[in-house]
Amino acid sequence: MPLHQDVLWYKDAIVYQVHVRTFQDSNGDGIGDFPGLEEKLDYLLELGINAIWLMPFFPSPLRDDGYDIADYSTVHSSYGTLEDFRKLLGSAHDRGIRVIIEMVLNHTSDQHPWFQESRSSKDNPRRDWYVWSDTNTRYQGTRIIFLDAETSNWAWDPISTSYYWHRFFSHQPDLNYDNPAVREQMWNVMKFWLEMGVDAFRLDAVPYLVEREGTNCENLLETHEILKELRRQLDEHFPGRMLLAEANQWPADLRPYFGDGDEFHMAFHFPLMPRMFMGLKLEDRKPITEILQQTPEIPPSCQWSLFLRNHDELTLEMVTDEERDYMYDMYAQDKTMRLNLGIRRRLAPLLNNDRRRIELMNGMLMSLPGTPIIYYGDEIGMGDNINLGDRNGVRTPMQWSGEWNGGFSAADPEHLYAPLIQDPVYGYPAVNVLRQKASEHSLLNWMRSIITVRRSTAVFGRGSIEFLYPANHRILAYVRRLGNEAVLVVNNLSGTAQAVELDLRRYKGNILIEMSGQNMFPRVGDQPYLLTMGPYQFYWFRLRRV
Amino acid sequence: METKLAEETFLTDDFLRQLINVGEVDILVGLPTHNNAKTIGSIVHTIQSGILQCFPRERAVIINADGGSRDGSTELVTGASIDDVRPASNLYALRTLHAISTQYASSPASGVALRTILAAAELLRAKACVVLSPESANIEPEWLAKLLHPVRRDGFDLVTPTYRRHKFEGLLITNLLYPMVRALYGVGIREAYTPEFGFSSRLGSHFLAQNAWNDGTGGTGVELRFALAAIAGGYRICQSFLGEKDHIERHAADLVPALRQTVGTLFSALEPDFPVWSTVAGSRPVPTTGADQEVLLEPLRVNRKRLREMFSTGVAELESVFESILSPSTLAELQRIARQGEEEFHYSGELWVKTVYEFAAAYQRSVISRDHIIQALAPIFRGRAFTFLMENRDASAEDVENNIEGLCLEFERLKPYLLQMWKSRE
Repeated sequence: MPLHQDVLWYKDAIVYQVHVRTFQDSNGDGIGDFPGLEEKLDYLLELGINAIWLMPFFPSPLRDDGYDIADYSTVHSSYGTLEDFRKLLGSAHDRGIRVIIEMVLNHTSDQHPWFQESRSSKDNPRRDWYVWSDTNTRYQGTRIIFLDAETSNWAWDPISTSYYWHRFFSHQPDLNYDNPAVREQMWNVMKFWLEMGVDAFRLDAVPYLVEREGTNCENLLETHEILKELRRQLDEHFPGRMLLAEANQWPADLRPYFGDGDEFHMAFHFPLMPRMFMGLKLEDRKPITEILQQTPEIPPSCQWSLFLRNHDELTLEMVTDEERDYMYDMYAQDKTMRLNLGIRRRLAPLLNNDRRRIELMNGMLMSLPGTPIIYYGDEIGMGDNINLGDRNGVRTPMQWSGEWNGGFSAADPEHLYAPLIQDPVYGYPAVNVLRQKASEHSLLNWMRSIITVRRSTAVFGRGSIEFLYPANHRILAYVRRLGNEAVLVVNNLSGTAQAVELDLRRYKGNILIEMSGQNMFPRVGDQPYLLTMGPYQFYWFRLRRV
Repeated sequence: METKLAEETFLTDDFLRQLINVGEVDILVGLPTHNNAKTIGSIVHTIQSGILQCFPRERAVIINADGGSRDGSTELVTGASIDDVRPASNLYALRTLHAISTQYASSPASGVALRTILAAAELLRAKACVVLSPESANIEPEWLAKLLHPVRRDGFDLVTPTYRRHKFEGLLITNLLYPMVRALYGVGIREAYTPEFGFSSRLGSHFLAQNAWNDGTGGTGVELRFALAAIAGGYRICQSFLGEKDHIERHAADLVPALRQTVGTLFSALEPDFPVWSTVAGSRPVPTTGADQEVLLEPLRVNRKRLREMFSTGVAELESVFESILSPSTLAELQRIARQGEEEFHYSGELWVKTVYEFAAAYQRSVISRDHIIQALAPIFRGRAFTFLMENRDASAEDVENNIEGLCLEFERLKPYLLQMWKSRE
């Protein structure tokens, strides 16, 4: 099927999140680039993913890893040329891989020409493109997001002798979406990339577009109206393209971002992710089932986006104080691992490099309702470097082999944009793609196989979910259904063997076929279905009436 | 291994299935019940609040061992939802909190209930356990912390409570159980016989393995046996102050069952524990968190006259029984004071201690039916209670404590008298 013909493609997608800078350096300057990424598309194809999400690659002073954009209409010269990007896009499409790019709507870099003009004079035509104030007392009900770095959402600009509004770092002034010219310009930016062929946008920090006095300046109706207008334009001019919302909010607050199927196609399910880690540590399904029970229904054309780890800290904003304390104590006892309200660590170190737990977490990621996103390197169990500042410890170069610079770059090591992981456990000599390709039972090969199973049926991407609540709370069990197809998923969250009795009477007469080995299990009868599960084991069973 | 198999056989399949689902726990709360529907719902909610407040991260379970309730007690335990607690208390549960219930086959018996709880604790590898009374109307969430923290944090094996009591409440404890246990075993546990206590897994397993569960008593006084087993086994013991204790009013007719549960249990234990208590001299206090005890002084109406009359009548009517239990001099002295009028009546501490020790020796020798010996103590105890009430009628809290301490020392001073009687039999 041609790529844009299936308008619900994102429901079946397995997304791979990668920063161009981190993946492969083709010209030996120590920085990953588009040609390097293009070289590795076949690796991604073999892994089984069918979409890549590229983090910001625009010109930027890189004070926030590219989320401080200084020019929306081209690419950062470190990563190649616009033509290089076009070539990558075409190569990805040739392989059936869709490309999702970042679009930071909320703010620009303070180095963006728009802001330079805006600050230059109060009479400048672009003055009103940003949110200016003579005082720093407006919008007092608004929280500060980067608590470790900022003390206010207002910053003083000595050039124009006014305060400007910023929800993130002070070098990232917020655009003024009350200005129609800004809204029009940002659509033009999106149109530019859509016309080039990008398949989707991950829209960054969308809850914060509009400010209103007396509110917390998040999730405002006016913000939704702007987003709906962008979606309307997208559907009208570029059907089959997709918008993915980054809105770190509670499920009930997230729900409006789907609208009536007329706002975002997908949104990250932020509250679920920390609860998966919590459930695993507690050996109790409660945090997971509880948050999914609180998750409202979304329109049929919409989809949740699920992830275990990403380029940011493991955010603990959407948990209670008690849960946050627990997560810190369990996963970040070393305080240097903590950042803002989160934990800046990768998947494997978070799970003590325990292969069983890594597999279980990925198993849940692939089987819970939503589109899974794999963060680059997690498929081989890459580690992190907490000695690097901010979130840079989880943004180190991809480890391709045990050779020079881990196969990432031919540059001198001191010229790399960031040092490779070199410790004995996670360092590139021990953890790399080449080595894992050669090992039948490596994590990489296991990931390929689980992705293959996941993609063998549409039920995981599109099916409904019905939780079973066996009396054993260490077992998380659910049935995914789509039409006549049903898949039973049973996860043992415990580090010890467990027995569980499942009430499957509704499926009486079905036999269970374990999906990875295709082996049959006994037929479901009137009695509770007894399963014994090894530590952190999980099963996916196709329910089949014979 | 045989013991373990026996425990598993003793538990029903359904209960075992529930235990499998609960899995390993950190905290186990045992709740024996029998027709406690009036109180049990609120008690379970208090327990849930206590767990959420004091042990939010621990794996916890409430185990209800029910002696055949027909008033829905078990349903109230298993149906109590954490959501009922949450809105009022703003508490949040990180984990699943299980509450499971089993009914044992025999009639209500505290021994069977405790055995069930201990077996469950062992199978679930509970690190710290607490047993709570289904009748504790004034239980507070903090009780869980007070009874469990010493086990979890400080490595104690048994945590017994102390309470704020009226000076005339618990006369059997202050006049017999406390001083005698202290004198004989050398450990000053104020409430060795208590329906609420905390304990470690190792003590629970020890008691489960060593106790003779099928002695036909249904486990009468098992809580006291548990405490004595802890002392005899050299386990670490402490006390924790719980505050005021509401209690269900007992009638005079309840005295004999109370004597069976306390004095009968203590006397029974003396024989197997002889190697332990016979070598103990003096006593040591037990580490206590909070107050040792607190005494309330407000006026309390007690029918003292009836106490003395029952003593005098008993001494007269049971003369032939007492002749086989007591020494001639002790009996003569009891008969003398039985004839005294209310004003001059005085049952001294020394005479009381001698009486009790002679009863203990008679119990050991089984001079008559052991149960008859215990029953015969009832009128005698009433005489002693009368004197205690009179002596402390206007006493301050400090005076009352001093008097109790004096009695304890009397029990310690006369311990050789008991040893002499005991050894003369051997």
